[in-house]
Amino acid sequence: MSTDTAIAGPADQTDANRSRRIFLGIIIVATLAFPLLQVFFGGFSYWLHMALFLYMNIAIASSWNIIGGFAGYISLGHNVFFAIGGYSAAILFAYFGVSPFIAFPLCGLISMGFGFIIGMMTLRTRGPTFIISTIALVLLAKILLDNWDYIGGSNGISLPLLDMPVEYVKLPFYYAMLAIAAGSVFLGYSVRRWKFGLGLRAISQDETKAEVAGIPTRFYKTLAFALSGLFIGMAGALWGYYLTYLSPAIFLTILVGAKFVLMTILGGRGTISGPIVGAIIFISANEFFVAQFGATELNIVATGVLLLLVLMFFPEGIVGTLKRNGKLPAILDWD
Amino acid sequence: MTQAIQILIIGLTLGGVFALMASGLTLIFGVMGIVNLAHAAFMVAAAFISFFAYKGLGLDPIASIVLTMPVMFVVGLVVYRLFFARSIDDPKKRSVLVLVTFAMALVIEGTLGFFFSNIYRSTNPPYAYDAFLMGPFYLPKGQFYATLMSALILGALWAMLRFTRLGYAIRATTHNRTAAEVVGVNVDRVSMFVFGIGMALAGASGSMISFLFSFYPGKHWEWVAILLSLVVLGGMGSLLGALIGALSLSVISAFVNSAYGPTWSPVTFYLALFAILLIRPQGLLGKKPEL
Repeated sequence: MSTDTAIAGPADQTDANRSRRIFLGIIIVATLAFPLLQVFFGGFSYWLHMALFLYMNIAIASSWNIIGGFAGYISLGHNVFFAIGGYSAAILFAYFGVSPFIAFPLCGLISMGFGFIIGMMTLRTRGPTFIISTIALVLLAKILLDNWDYIGGSNGISLPLLDMPVEYVKLPFYYAMLAIAAGSVFLGYSVRRWKFGLGLRAISQDETKAEVAGIPTRFYKTLAFALSGLFIGMAGALWGYYLTYLSPAIFLTILVGAKFVLMTILGGRGTISGPIVGAIIFISANEFFVAQFGATELNIVATGVLLLLVLMFFPEGIVGTLKRNGKLPAILDWD
Repeated sequence: MTQAIQILIIGLTLGGVFALMASGLTLIFGVMGIVNLAHAAFMVAAAFISFFAYKGLGLDPIASIVLTMPVMFVVGLVVYRLFFARSIDDPKKRSVLVLVTFAMALVIEGTLGFFFSNIYRSTNPPYAYDAFLMGPFYLPKGQFYATLMSALILGALWAMLRFTRLGYAIRATTHNRTAAEVVGVNVDRVSMFVFGIGMALAGASGSMISFLFSFYPGKHWEWVAILLSLVVLGGMGSLLGALIGALSLSVISAFVNSAYGPTWSPVTFYLALFAILLIRPQGLLGKKPEL
């Protein structure tokens, strides 16, 4: 494949670049214009909901990809950032009257700050101990939030609805989630291009050699962990407001964190378009399964079985496998 | 003072069972380098076997290890063959094996939840509600028998590791996998047996927890985090470390339990985990990582 590009090089590249640019342009216009359907025709409420739910998951998967894909450190506890974002927005809104639409970048920064502190503790070791600490983190956070009466404890906290006509109430959430998803994908794209991203890839290949080569591995890992919390925190802030109700049971079960991981691995971790593809397929499949079997134990089984199948047969995910076989459409090759 | 000794007794007797639970986990990690996140899920599955053996056949939960241990041993061999055998020596695939065990845990949890629903269950043999009285102290019979049984099983495990050829091979593989292979140890076979033994230990632990605690399918996450924290404290892969970690953390959590209530006793384990990571990431008896 490398020889092919060497021979047919520049022309192919520009072709691919142009088709990619057109494709991205169409997607941007389509996503921006989609709510107009609701405004002019109505009846698209369900699809708006699905779309903004999808954007949120794209943001989450792309963010998780920074630590789990680029750096190769699998975190099963990223829903803690989701909860930190959600709850900090809820506190700011319920007690200080700051709308989550204004506060959400701050909530992202708060969860990023927590990420830095947690990362400084848990990333001192390599390999399996980190994974263990992420599970413990979820359980610890759940116990703490369950018993923190200021924010309602295990009963949760209710937020007032957004004061808008009901047919338009989803629009601000739609655009905000779209912006968060775009920001998250762009962050992943930039990290990949920075020297920092190169360092992370070195860490995922061989951490000892990376350290010998002069990469400040611990700082890089911690920064990657914190950065991956940024947009997840923002998504959490708006998601809590969108649901108008937050409880630890919504944010802090192992299954929530498992789904973050599954989406990214399904699409292909370590790639830019992988988390997006993974989120789209996973959300569609999840919607189908929930409609078929209900959101109960079978949902857990389906998540587990899907994860097993992907890990056993496509450990590089859809995008990764296609790319290795040279069959990835140019419009999805964003690396 | 009396109260403190009483709490110590409770903590130590629970610690023995925790040591049994953690032994399989640390043994598997030592030989295969895999953190088995499904360990506690298999324990809960075994607890269900004990539960139904008790309800259906009237089999005593402690005696039901004759059922759970062989069954889980065979399950372990099958799981090893299906999921681990081909990936264990490929470093790239090995890094995702921990996610494989995570997925297995989800499947087990969901399947048990689907068939038996997420209600609290426990076997209730008469000794679970009885206690020995010794002067001002009491010793719950259930915990005492469970710890005695755990000590027996752990003793047998130790003797097996110390005196048999298989045990010798297991220790060699734990020490250095490649070198063991070079001197003629069939590392693949050893790994398979170790996974089986680890699962059998999970099976025995399941029988114990079936009457010590009330359990439901989703409860295993709490247990696996507790077990992992004491394994990390002791040093991953070290059996003696797991024993020390189990006894010390279980005593501390018993004190936390009596001072702040049962909600906060699991927090002891999680906070201990973060404290260990800060102070001594390789654990008490763990090998210091290279570099």
